[in-house]
Amino acid sequence: MTDANMPARNNEGFLENANEWTPEIAALIAQDEHIALYEKHWEIIMFLRSFYSSHEMSPPSNRLFVKSVKEALGDEKGSSIYLMQLFSGTPAKTACRIAGLPRPTNCL
Amino acid sequence: MTSIHTLHILNKAPEHPRTAECMNAIRSGDALLLTENAVLALSILDDQAPMAQVYAIASDAIARGFGQSGTKATLVDYPAMVKLTAQAQHLISW
Amino acid sequence: MSTLIVIDQPPYGTWAGREALDMAFSLAAFDQSVSLLFMGAGVNWLRAAQQTNGIEQKSVEKNLSAAPIFGVEAMYADTLACAQYGLTPEGMVAGVTMSPNSAELMHQHTHTAFAG
Repeated sequence: MTDANMPARNNEGFLENANEWTPEIAALIAQDEHIALYEKHWEIIMFLRSFYSSHEMSPPSNRLFVKSVKEALGDEKGSSIYLMQLFSGTPAKTACRIAGLPRPTNCL
Repeated sequence: MTSIHTLHILNKAPEHPRTAECMNAIRSGDALLLTENAVLALSILDDQAPMAQVYAIASDAIARGFGQSGTKATLVDYPAMVKLTAQAQHLISW
Repeated sequence: MSTLIVIDQPPYGTWAGREALDMAFSLAAFDQSVSLLFMGAGVNWLRAAQQTNGIEQKSVEKNLSAAPIFGVEAMYADTLACAQYGLTPEGMVAGVTMSPNSAELMHQHTHTAFAG
């Protein structure tokens, strides 16, 4: 896939329309962040996709991202450190960006 | 320092439905603090909120011509408002 | 220390309720005890089967369903307001507790804040 196939994104790199997301696009966005996607990443990405389809929102902050992962996947994965290792920077922002979700509203 | 059970902070004009809700929720031992457009209630206050001590933000009241209100409300400044909130065990911001 | 956030405004056409929901979620994010009370026109937030595609807005019903995940302790609905808007437990989202005396509920919380 080339950048020409990349759907519209905002100035922070979040997809304008979450429905235009595909796994290929995820890999491309991750590349920008210098992240290679492995099974552990996909587990969180697919969790976020399902969270968005159930709740029509991204977890609003990093804390609530960690809390939501904990609720769905347990204590080990629902921890700040685990998620920071997978998604550098602010994990909620990085993971939502790769998962094609809107920007978490309360993440600075 | 006297204790207030619940301090009701109201900033809605008397016609706002929340004003009636607030008046209904006031119990003895509570206090009512009127801010912004809620100070307009000073003109009709004597008939309402009989059980509570009533306060109003002085700058809001004076701005609307209630400087010499002649009602039973006590006009307070912002530091006094902070003291009231500290005296109250419960706070409701209507 | 417990906070009750009250939403008494309708779900669409105003941002006040969404801002209140945001406040509740933020308190929950920092593990503060927080609950939601819906009264007046606000009970319409709780109506099941909202389809918002046509008005191009996110469904508050779906947004609200994240509340328990984020740690919001309870969602209360004022009994009288539900009756006024024809809302029965069957027609409402899951996990709602009826509140027959909302003034009492407010007096039980340390802080009560209305939306907007």
